[in-house]
Amino acid sequence: MSVALRELLLAGAVVDVGALLETVLAATVAGLGVTTTFSLAILGASGSVDARRNGQRLQSAAYAALAVLGVLATLAAIGFGLVVMVR
Amino acid sequence: MSEADLILYIVVGTALVFDFTNGFHDTANVVATSISTRAMSPRLAVGYAAILNFVGAFISLEVAATVADAVVAADAITPTVVFAGLIGAIAWNLATWYFGLPSSSSHALIGGVVGAAFAAAGPDAVLVDGVVGKVMVPAVVAPALAFFVGVGAIVICYRMVGRQRPGPVTRGFRWGQVISGGLLALAHGTNDAQKTMGIIALALIAHGELAQGSDPPTWVIVSAATAIALGTYSGGWRIIRTMGTRIIKMDAAQGFSAQGAGAAVILASSHFGFPLSTTHVISGGVMGAGAGKRLSAVRWGVAGNIVGAWLLTLPAAAVIGAAADGVVRLLGNGAVGPVAISIAALLAGAFAFLQRIRKGQTVATG
Repeated sequence: MSVALRELLLAGAVVDVGALLETVLAATVAGLGVTTTFSLAILGASGSVDARRNGQRLQSAAYAALAVLGVLATLAAIGFGLVVMVR
Repeated sequence: MSEADLILYIVVGTALVFDFTNGFHDTANVVATSISTRAMSPRLAVGYAAILNFVGAFISLEVAATVADAVVAADAITPTVVFAGLIGAIAWNLATWYFGLPSSSSHALIGGVVGAAFAAAGPDAVLVDGVVGKVMVPAVVAPALAFFVGVGAIVICYRMVGRQRPGPVTRGFRWGQVISGGLLALAHGTNDAQKTMGIIALALIAHGELAQGSDPPTWVIVSAATAIALGTYSGGWRIIRTMGTRIIKMDAAQGFSAQGAGAAVILASSHFGFPLSTTHVISGGVMGAGAGKRLSAVRWGVAGNIVGAWLLTLPAAAVIGAAADGVVRLLGNGAVGPVAISIAALLAGAFAFLQRIRKGQTVATG
């Protein structure tokens, strides 16, 4: 067994790899997920205003719904994360 | 009041002072992004961060448990050893602040306690698995993770709203920063205040007031939360005065991405009990949000500082903690050592502060 492999196995034995991987996964999903939902909200809000200016009422309403969904999804994701932490 | 009680009071007081300085020092990291993108006024950002730092201290106790149970063997040490560890951390923070070296308060705290425990009770008092697995490896992983989440987040932002009119998008992300900045303050409060709770819990266990494995008492949680919140609020006024000179230029989407990445990593790590350098994680998020837009926008010198702090802080604080323990024991087993060292530390701190101000004035006027 090479020294590098032995050191890697030793580190693996000391580090709680499961918890570390869960941290990486949770942080990535939370960070990118909330960014995506909030960007959707901004896209919806901005698109709704532009469509209304152009007289496209149906499109404006659809964009507005996207904005509301984006905000709700963002708040739900944050709320879920905090509830998991507090529990 | 017995001498042991007096030592315990000194340890608790010193830990809370450390917590206050942690909040004072870290305000800039927590609020700078919101202020620089004009998402919030400086006064509002500082007040908001202080309140959420306070609240954050109540949402988890996993990090406190790690500090109290997984770093040193609580049954092998005494409150005096915890005190020596705190002095090691404070002395190292003071020295690095004076000489402008990179540092991390969190690593200094853990390094100081490890060094003092090693000196007092030998290698068996140090839980190597905990130090490596819960502190050292996450210390390397977390800032890198925040960097990559920051890169991913800013790429998503630009891809999704890059073709929209800039005005509404900027306003939208400024509102988003109210949420992401709040989460970052909450995350900072939970991870950093818990380190102090863990240290006080360790002293209480060593003193026989608390059973090993128990959660910190409510008064410990409330006092640690209050100390970090007051530190954050006090530190904020310094930030307000120096604003505009040292803050990184970024747009609202970058600010949102950087804060979101930092908060996600710190909150997830806190949930699994990893005590992190919140400064390093926030720096990782800021660099990631910068690199996602333009690689040359990243201040790579900051990354160098983080690596320097990784290499220096733990061993240096450990050596000072061990030395502090030696000095305390030279002065006997009673309260004389902690009292004398506390007075010496206060005088050294005041001297360094005055010298630094004098130097600063010389530079400013010369």
